[in-house]
Amino acid sequence: MIKNREAFLQTIATQLGRSTPSLTKPERNWKHLPQHEVLKGASADELVEILVEHCANIHTTVKICTQLTLKQTLEEAFATYNNGQIIYSEDARFEQLQIESFIAAQQSFKWDPTQGDMNIEIAERANIGVVISDITLAESATIMLQSSAQRGRTLSFLPENSIAIIPKSSIVPRMTQAAQFLRKQSHVASCVSFITGPSNSADIEMNLVVGVHGPVRMMYIIVEDV
Amino acid sequence: MAMKISKNKFNDRLSMNLDNDFMRSAVSSAQHRFQTRRSTAIESLDWEQWRNHGEEIRQHVLEHLDYYLYELSENVAARGGHVFFAKTAEEATNYITNIAKEKQAKKIVKSKSMVTEEINLNTHLEQLGCEVIETDLGEYILQLDDHDPPSHIVTPALHKNKEQIRDIFTEKIGYTASSQPEELAQHARQILRQDYLTADIGITGCNFAVAETGSVCLVTNEGNADLVAALPKTLISVMGLERIVPTFEEMEVLVSMLTRSAVGQKLTSYITVLTGIQEELDVDGPEEFHLVIVDNGRSSILGGEFQSILQCIRCAACVNVCPVYRHVGGHTYGSIYSGPIGAVLSPLLGGYDDYKELPYASTLCGACTDVCPVKIPLHQLLHKHREVIVEREGRAPISESLLMQAFGMGTSSQSIYRFGSKLASTAMKPFTSDDKISSGPGLLKNWTDIRDLPSPKKERFRDWFDTHSKGGRS
Amino acid sequence: MNVSLFATCIVDMFQSNVGKSTVELLERLGCTVSFPKGQTCCGQPAYNSGYVKASKDTMKNTIRVFENAEVIVCPSGSCAYMLKEYVHIFKDEPIWQERAQRIADKTYELTQFIVEVLGIENVGAKLSGTATYHPSCHMTRLLKVQQAPMTLLKNVDGLEIIELPLKENCCGFGGTFSVKMGRISEQMVDEKVASVQQTNAHYLIGADGGCLLNIGGRIERQNLEVKTMHIAEVLNSR
Repeated sequence: MIKNREAFLQTIATQLGRSTPSLTKPERNWKHLPQHEVLKGASADELVEILVEHCANIHTTVKICTQLTLKQTLEEAFATYNNGQIIYSEDARFEQLQIESFIAAQQSFKWDPTQGDMNIEIAERANIGVVISDITLAESATIMLQSSAQRGRTLSFLPENSIAIIPKSSIVPRMTQAAQFLRKQSHVASCVSFITGPSNSADIEMNLVVGVHGPVRMMYIIVEDV
Repeated sequence: MAMKISKNKFNDRLSMNLDNDFMRSAVSSAQHRFQTRRSTAIESLDWEQWRNHGEEIRQHVLEHLDYYLYELSENVAARGGHVFFAKTAEEATNYITNIAKEKQAKKIVKSKSMVTEEINLNTHLEQLGCEVIETDLGEYILQLDDHDPPSHIVTPALHKNKEQIRDIFTEKIGYTASSQPEELAQHARQILRQDYLTADIGITGCNFAVAETGSVCLVTNEGNADLVAALPKTLISVMGLERIVPTFEEMEVLVSMLTRSAVGQKLTSYITVLTGIQEELDVDGPEEFHLVIVDNGRSSILGGEFQSILQCIRCAACVNVCPVYRHVGGHTYGSIYSGPIGAVLSPLLGGYDDYKELPYASTLCGACTDVCPVKIPLHQLLHKHREVIVEREGRAPISESLLMQAFGMGTSSQSIYRFGSKLASTAMKPFTSDDKISSGPGLLKNWTDIRDLPSPKKERFRDWFDTHSKGGRS
Repeated sequence: MNVSLFATCIVDMFQSNVGKSTVELLERLGCTVSFPKGQTCCGQPAYNSGYVKASKDTMKNTIRVFENAEVIVCPSGSCAYMLKEYVHIFKDEPIWQERAQRIADKTYELTQFIVEVLGIENVGAKLSGTATYHPSCHMTRLLKVQQAPMTLLKNVDGLEIIELPLKENCCGFGGTFSVKMGRISEQMVDEKVASVQQTNAHYLIGADGGCLLNIGGRIERQNLEVKTMHIAEVLNSR
């Protein structure tokens, strides 16, 4: 429902010197588009390098592995975080990366929309959340997640430790490419999260505290899938 | 808290803050750190081109604001959201309190939002009996400290030290540990985590609304906005009418500029784009979503000489470089909006009665204009305010006005100037010793209270030149 | 080259030595210098305080006095910028705007003129000691003259330049700000003086009379050793 729109827009139109509000989509003819120049022409390996380098600035541990060693890398990652309850999204890519059965064999829970609020309860006490990045931004070392019934948005916020698996093929130069991707979708996910490292705050005397409301620790595992 | 944060007059606020040594050193070191981080974050980019693009996006949006607000509202509605256009602060708070009543809300969690401060939303919700909890750590601290006003747009509790924060936590929320920021934050985390899970309503601001998709983009480092938006069943986002972008592509550019300019990060930890209500079978996310679009004086700025101030993306880069802000701190401005942006915006939204001193609290050094990511000519707008105050509002002190009229006369007439400037030396003679004035009369006293002034020379430069050009001594 | 000197009111009344140095320096560099007697002030004190109407006659006077000059040189970044700003100030008076444009196109700050127009980077000056340079806000940010003064100072024989910490900070002058907001101005100038002291330099050099009156006045009041000099005086030292 939309309320009070007509008068509101009329005021604006009048201020802008129009007799009635404009209802035609304006042309966007930008004179400057510097964002397309950033990391232009960088190879996939170069993007990985940039991403890895930036992880040091965002308090994020980063591992690189092949599909063959992914299971072992993940096992070590779980151990680093002292195992415990794991929660992960329902995502066909876990199977494609051949780690679905491994994760299922742990003390783990797969996000399940039929279980309602229980998902949140489990996520809240889970030690580790595991997700797979949809698009990964090299420039800022950022993962992008699109929510769905099978991929709850709080899955990557509530657990104390967060692990993001990053298929190498998901890495793009920067947010520019992610924005273009999102615009092409016929339906935008209800929640699209760009996550860059763990939660942090500098609100107390400008001292950086890592781990405020969301995850305290974050790990990226880059998988050579191409 | 409304926009106005103090009943004291400008000079009293100034005195209080100039005496606050902790605040001043905290602000000074914060500015230094912000500036260094920002410089590092933009060094690999062709920043001037980014600024040009940022400016053209924001100008385009303002020129077509009626269309984009229409498009935004259509697309929010198409995804199951409600849109309320609020002309005034009162309309906005009424609408939101009505939702709270309807939901019989007891607990409301909020993420940081300047516009909700501006419309005094918390007070209205609290009067209704709701517990309103600010979840941004800085805001949370201020709220616990009996609603101490924010002193910075991005880091609101900048003026507080960790010992003060420990004392507040001890008194208000049973804290028993040290003044270590980690321990303080950990305690807040535990308390607030329960609040997210049990709140009836979540309220957020809006960094950018995307017209094409009806999305709201939220930018944080703490991740608090995400939990506010994901856990309660009802979500309300409140935005100033100008905080809009056409598509994700422009959103992306402005977000990249915002995080760099505000905190020197390529991106903050969480950039979250919310579109409508939760979808079928979704477990988390709001079942009900309201977008409240607030005018509260903004539309009257449109189409006028101050329009460019609406380009602002609230990064506070201008605050972080302002030499006046560095010495006087945020509270001196008497408004939730401080620094150069505050000195321009507060008189526009709050009127000259309360804020006429602010445009004069600047040397017009231009540091703010230089650093603004969307190229708002801030120092020129400060100057424009002065022109309005003097020439349209007639609010200048009479003594100043007379002096300036005399100046205009004296410097536009060659003969009066020549006579006056010659007289100056004689007139100043009683106050001169050692070729300098250490205690001047009238307005000059304000100068000589602080510094010496060389006495006007009996032989002015023009007198010397006259002799010189006639081939005299050199 | 025939240079019309816009000396500025501060130089005319308070800093005649800066004017003399400017004239002698330019003459030594081969220019013929004239001082149009009708000049008064650029109008900034009233204009910046919001008295736009009251200052416009002053600006018109300046335009009239200088519009036939071959080139206008001014030993102040702030006042030189103001002359260029006339173009925007007269945006609603096309005839005056056009005349203002003619002035703007041929106005230069002193060091900018020497480096960019005369193409000279070493004026043959000699001054022994250490010095630090305060780059004034209007000159660097608005007029965008940043390199010229440093280029010239580096070539002064015997002078060692020490970079001023936090050099981009405003000194707190701001025209009438210095008296209207005296207490804030005091904090700002103290911060600037503290930066100057950190360098232990013999000389504080600047290219704007207003800033120098402010910083120099504070230094005098505190009886500090450092000597304040306008860049024209430094470049004219032999």
